[in-house]
Parts: sequence; C-alpha cells; structure tokens
Amino acid sequence: MNLTFYNDEATWLHRLDPRTKIGGVLLIFVICLCFNHPLFIAVILTGVLAIFTTAKSIKILWKLRFLLVLLFVFSAVLWPFFIKGKTILFQWHGLEVSSESLLYGFAMGLRLMTFVSAGLLLLATTKNEEITNGLIRLGIPYPAAFALATAIRLAPTFADAGATIVQAQVSRGLDLDSRNIFSRFKRFAPLSIPIFISAMRYTNFLAMALESKGFQPDAPRTSYYEPRITGKDWLVLGFLTLTLAACLYLRLYLHWGIIISGRL
Amino acid sequence: MTSSIVFDHLSFSYQNTTAPALQDISGEMTRGSFTMVMGHSGAGKSTLCCAINGLVPRFLRGIYEGMVMVEGMETGKNSVPYMARIVGIVLQDFEAQLFSTNVELEMAFGLENQCLPRTDMEERINDYLRVVGLEELLRRDTGTLSGGQKQRLAIGSVLAMETPVLVMDEPTTDIDPEGRHHILSLIRRLRTRERTLVVTDLDAEAAVQADQIWLLKDGQLVAKGPPAEILQDSSLIESCGIRPLATVALFQAMNWPGQPLTVEAAAAEIENRRLLCPRRPECRAISVLAPGKVIMETRNLSYRYPASATNALNDVDLTIHEGDFVAMLGQNGSGKTTLAKHFNGLLKPTAGDMLVRGRPVKNYRRHELAREVGYVFQNPDHQIFAPTVREEVSFGPRILGMDRKTLERNIAEALDATGLSGFEDKNPFLLNRGERQRVAVASILAVKPAVIILDEPTTGLDYVHQRDTMEMLKRLNQFGHTIIIITHAMWIAEAYASRSILMKEGRILLDGPTSTVFSDEAMLAAASLAPSDLIRLRNRLGLAAMTLSDMVKELKNEAVPPGSF
Repeated sequence: MNLTFYNDEATWLHRLDPRTKIGGVLLIFVICLCFNHPLFIAVILTGVLAIFTTAKSIKILWKLRFLLVLLFVFSAVLWPFFIKGKTILFQWHGLEVSSESLLYGFAMGLRLMTFVSAGLLLLATTKNEEITNGLIRLGIPYPAAFALATAIRLAPTFADAGATIVQAQVSRGLDLDSRNIFSRFKRFAPLSIPIFISAMRYTNFLAMALESKGFQPDAPRTSYYEPRITGKDWLVLGFLTLTLAACLYLRLYLHWGIIISGRL
Repeated sequence: MTSSIVFDHLSFSYQNTTAPALQDISGEMTRGSFTMVMGHSGAGKSTLCCAINGLVPRFLRGIYEGMVMVEGMETGKNSVPYMARIVGIVLQDFEAQLFSTNVELEMAFGLENQCLPRTDMEERINDYLRVVGLEELLRRDTGTLSGGQKQRLAIGSVLAMETPVLVMDEPTTDIDPEGRHHILSLIRRLRTRERTLVVTDLDAEAAVQADQIWLLKDGQLVAKGPPAEILQDSSLIESCGIRPLATVALFQAMNWPGQPLTVEAAAAEIENRRLLCPRRPECRAISVLAPGKVIMETRNLSYRYPASATNALNDVDLTIHEGDFVAMLGQNGSGKTTLAKHFNGLLKPTAGDMLVRGRPVKNYRRHELAREVGYVFQNPDHQIFAPTVREEVSFGPRILGMDRKTLERNIAEALDATGLSGFEDKNPFLLNRGERQRVAVASILAVKPAVIILDEPTTGLDYVHQRDTMEMLKRLNQFGHTIIIITHAMWIAEAYASRSILMKEGRILLDGPTSTVFSDEAMLAAASLAPSDLIRLRNRLGLAAMTLSDMVKELKNEAVPPGSF
C-alpha cells in the first residue's frame, strides 16, 4: 500500500500557510467535539469532504477507505454496550442497547472519521517540509517538529520494505492465510525481524546522510519555502472560529445536537 | 599543485570488532584531481570515504589513529556538520539519502543548512539540476524517480553545496546500465571543475578516466598510481577483488605487445600491428540451445499494477525449459521482475496464463508452488530473521512440512552447494554481504525447487564474490536446476547464461542463445544496453567465444605470432 498522502496540486488549500492549516485542523477537531448527535457530526463531515473536493484530493481519502469504514463500524458496534440510554431496544444478560446509545455509537464513528479526514486534509495539501516549518513557527522545538515530520516521511518507506519482506517470505512457503493460531504466531518473527532490522539500518544511514549535509537540529537554518500569512489565511481562520463560536452557542445555550447529555 | 586531502598514517577499527578497517593509510590527493578508490568488499573503501568528512570517527566510532587533513582542516577534530562546508559526500545507499517531498526541496536541504537566502538557493538549484540533467523534474516526488535519477539527484544535492571536495561511495552500484552510463559521464564532466573528486567503484572500466587509482586490500593501501600503471597489472587488481580490464587481460593472455585500456584502443592496436588476419564473418560458429522438457510457460500474459494506467507486461509469450540457464536483461521498469514474480505466483496475470508444468499457477497451493519455483530476492536482508544459519536455511523446508531426515539432508546439501558448510551455528546477521546472499540462496535451495529465480544475485558483491556466486549457480544448473537470473551485469549474463531474454517496456525484445543475443549490438542498444568490453571486442573481431579463456583458445588457432612479419 502506498502511504504517501501528499497530493501535488495547486489549489487554494495547498497555498495556505501551514500554520493556518494546522490551526484549522485543530479548530475542526474542537468543532467535532461540540456535538454528539450523529446528524450534526455528519454535517461537519460533509463540510470536510467538501473541502477535500475543492482541494482535488478526494482520491487520497479513498486510499484510506478501509480504515475509515473500520473505525465507523467498530465504534458503532462497541459504544452502545458501554453507554446507557432511556429507550431500551433490547436486553440480554445485563447487556442493554438503547436507541440513544446506538445513535451515540454512530456519532462517535462519524467523529473518528472526521478526525482522520481532517488530519488527512492537512497531509494531502501540505508538504512535509511545510508542516515542519509551520510547527517551528508555532513554537514547537525543532527536534520535536523534525521528528514528527520524519515519522510521516518514513511511514511509506517502511511500508514498502514491509511489502517486499512479505513477498520474500511468502516465496519461501510462509502461509499468510493459515487460520491456525500457532502458525500465526510463528509467522510473526520471519516478518517482524527483517522489518525491524531494515528500519534500524535505514534510520542510522539517514542520520549519517543528514549530518553529512550539514544538518544540526539546534543550528539556525533558512527555509526554501517561506510561507506567509495572507488575507486568505485570516479569512479561513476567522470563518472556522466563527463556526466554532456558533457551534458552542448551539450546544451550550440552545442545547442542540445532543443525544446523551453530560458527554462530549 | 596544492594538496587537498592528506592521509597521515590513518588507522581505524570499528567498535566491537577486532580486525582493523583501515591500516596505516598515508597519501595525498591534489586539488582538482580525480581519485578512484578500489578494492574488494570489506577492503575499507567506505570507511576511507567516511574518514574524509568525519563520519569516521565522529559518527561511526572506534579506535582512530593518525589523521586526515582536508583543505587544511583536521577531520577528526571537527564535527560532521561543520566538515560539510568543505566535504560533500554521496553515501552508498542513495535511496536512504533522499528525504524530501520533491526534487527541488531535496536540492535545497543542504543549502538551508548553509543558511543561504532563498534567491541564492533558487539559482543554485537550477544550475545544478542542469548539471545532473534533472531540470525538467523540479517538482517531481522523489519516490517516483528511477534508480539512476535518484542517484543523480543525490549527487546534485551535494554538488549544489559547492564544496571543494566531493566524495562518492559506489555511485553506480545497484543502477541499471543506462543510469550507470549517465553517472559515469556526469563524473567525467565534473572533472573539468575546480574540485577534488574521490569516487569508489568496483569496476575497472569506470576507473580508466581517473587521475589516480588507490587500491585497497584488507584495509591497507597496496598500490596507488595512474590508471595506465595500476590497471595493467591484472593479477594485482584481481587479487584486490576487481575484475581486470578485458582488453588488458586479453592482450596479456595472447602475449601481444601493448596494454590498451579501452576497446577502441585495443581494436586500433590489433589493426595497426596486424595481430590478426582479416576474418570472414561467416566462420563464426552458431550456437543452438538444446531445450529440455517445458517447465514454465506464459501465454499472452499481461499485467497491470493496481492504480496504474499502463500495463507493466504486454502479451508475453515465453517458454522455459528444464535445465535452462536464463538471464533476463533490460532497464529498470522494463518488466523483468514483474514477469519473474509471475513465475512463482507472487503476482497473478491480469490477462493470459502462467503455467508451471502445464498447470495454471492459480491452481497450485502456495507450498506446492514453493517446491517447484524458488525465488531469491535481491536484498538478503529482506528475508533473514533467524539467529543461526541452520535455522534460517531450515525455515522453508520446515514450513513445507518436510520430515526430519530429508530436512537434515537437504540443509547439509544446500549449505555444501553454497559453500557454507561449517557456518551452521553462525549468526547470519554478522556475515558479510556475499555470505548473507549465499544464506538466502541456501534457504531457497534447501526446498529443492526445480527452478530457482534470482533477482540481481551479484549486486553489492565484489568480483571474487560475484564469481563464487555464479560458479555456484553453474554447479546447481549442472545438477539439473533451472536457473533464471535478473541482472544488470552484462559480463555475468555473457559468461554464465546459456539463454538471454531482452526486455523493454513490458515486452520481450529478443530471446535466444546468449552468444547470439550479445552479437546483436543494435538490438541491445534498443534496450539501452551494451555488451561488456570483452564482448564488444569479440564482436569487432568476429569471434564466437563468450569468455576470455575461450577467446584466447579461438584466437591462438589463427593469431599471427608477434615478430613473424
């Protein structure tokens, strides 16, 4: 699977300052937390999807369709058993499922999907270097920002190595479809050890390459892409802040969008 | 001439090892010179490179004695990032060096560290992308580049830092012939600038253009001098794990005067001195393959990778016979590996059929197929996981449910065939690359598959290990295994494969006896390949032999003894 999420286009979203996008994603996260009614969260998710289309990046989201569906299904199935509601749908040996808890489960599933999508929106429209740059300008220490960006950068590399390793071991007769729990355990070592070793070699080598190009985490350096906050950035941040304020008003004063009160 | 790099009795041993990696190296490289550092794998070439920019001893630690001065600075006393102002280094693994989202940012990384303002960066990026011929790819994702392009980008990003010293550690390893050609011509162009160049390589053909060759053996500097001097001593460079120049070796074996370093010089020499009578081309013997039973067959096989717009393979019709020794040749992306992965069912055809012993691969169970077709991946580190060689080699047979007695016998035979007897209890991770490669082969061999496919079995090995590996495959072939290798090393296909398949853009361009395929230089050129120097000379002289010793035999029957005219 290809885990590179950056989608090289030139849309308005790509041109925004990385700080705006990081801030914007955080605002969307908080907006998501305002409601726990599935319909309200569905509206937010639709909004995020709309932004995806204007950023011409819906195909990036499509890459993660299985993860998104999985998150939704898990949360929709599991939440109802841990939450109590008024309208009991059925009871079984002390386990009960109510229509409120069911809706809450849907809401949480949609919320997770929105979180992942919003995060992906950032990754799809912002280069790694821009994220690093944005984080540093937001006051995150350089080593931390660099480590985060490196992790994002290395994920696809390790996934590639992993795919090759799986093929190499399958060629030797490793049966990945076996249902036997013992053979499942046994096949863990032939895959994990080469992946671990190649990751170690790779990172060590990368560190050598970075130092050899004069990189020092604590030294000053210039940046090739110099993002600038423009009117558009303020517009986006302003719009999202207003949306958040409106959502807070709806929830706190009008008590809208609540399926189970007293919960996020 | 001022000296740029001075080694003064440099010795170095890595932490936790007993044998020194470098021993008492002394010598100097003058400013603006081009030095080629050569030697077998493990001779200390990479260590020497790293000692120039301070990775040794500042990053790779150990016992360090003596000193290295680069442009008046003592390497061991300064940090690596500090030394980066004067030494640019392109490390061996170009994949791991590329780090940025796109080409432009990769080029900028070193410049950002130098705190260059943006306008200067832009200028340098454009300048040096032109030098390495990637100016069209400014915004390309580095992951989508070919191996050769990646290597040129790695070189370009270091060049842009405009350091007075440039070091490249095996820049042509693991790159297809066309990419290799680009890089060698790039190195040739870089020479004209005011820059000290240090390059390591395993191939004598690449060293001809250097000012100086440094020959390393077991960490010691055994010889240094101009190429004409060093490369003429075939036995010396062979003892250092380097394949001698074909032209020199031929002239020596024939006792001809002169020691030409290139095919052109050799052909001119032969003509001027009338070493051979003019030959008629029709006397060349025609080789025919004697095919055995059909073991694998593709019928109109096409394959398209998911999410790809074009076919990786187009209508491939191919028959492999029992006992074949096949070399699959072509550029990266020509479809060699994709096709080979169909042979053992790792990939399923999008259209057409893949048959093994007349039966479609999809009707085989995984473990049945593993017994018919074994596949050794390019990088042995992608499969080694066990704490001992014995366990590693027994993994395949055990998982396929072989009984204890057969298993023991197979392992012993596999280790014997790969020359690893006595290694049973060793830790495979501590072996050298050549040995790890052999462990990988042994672990496939222990299953006793009828067909063994090897993807780039000689990459990263020096001449001695390459020859050992190929001799081992030759023995296995004689025992009845069908061998298929994917390779970029032309001399290996020439000397060992009985049949060669030339691929381009997912199609088979040419398929036939190796001697015939390599006579067709036009067709090879169409696949962006060229024969080795030896075979180019053979084609010019109209000979039939494919190896040096056969060529000498063939020539001895008709050569004019020197002095007889």
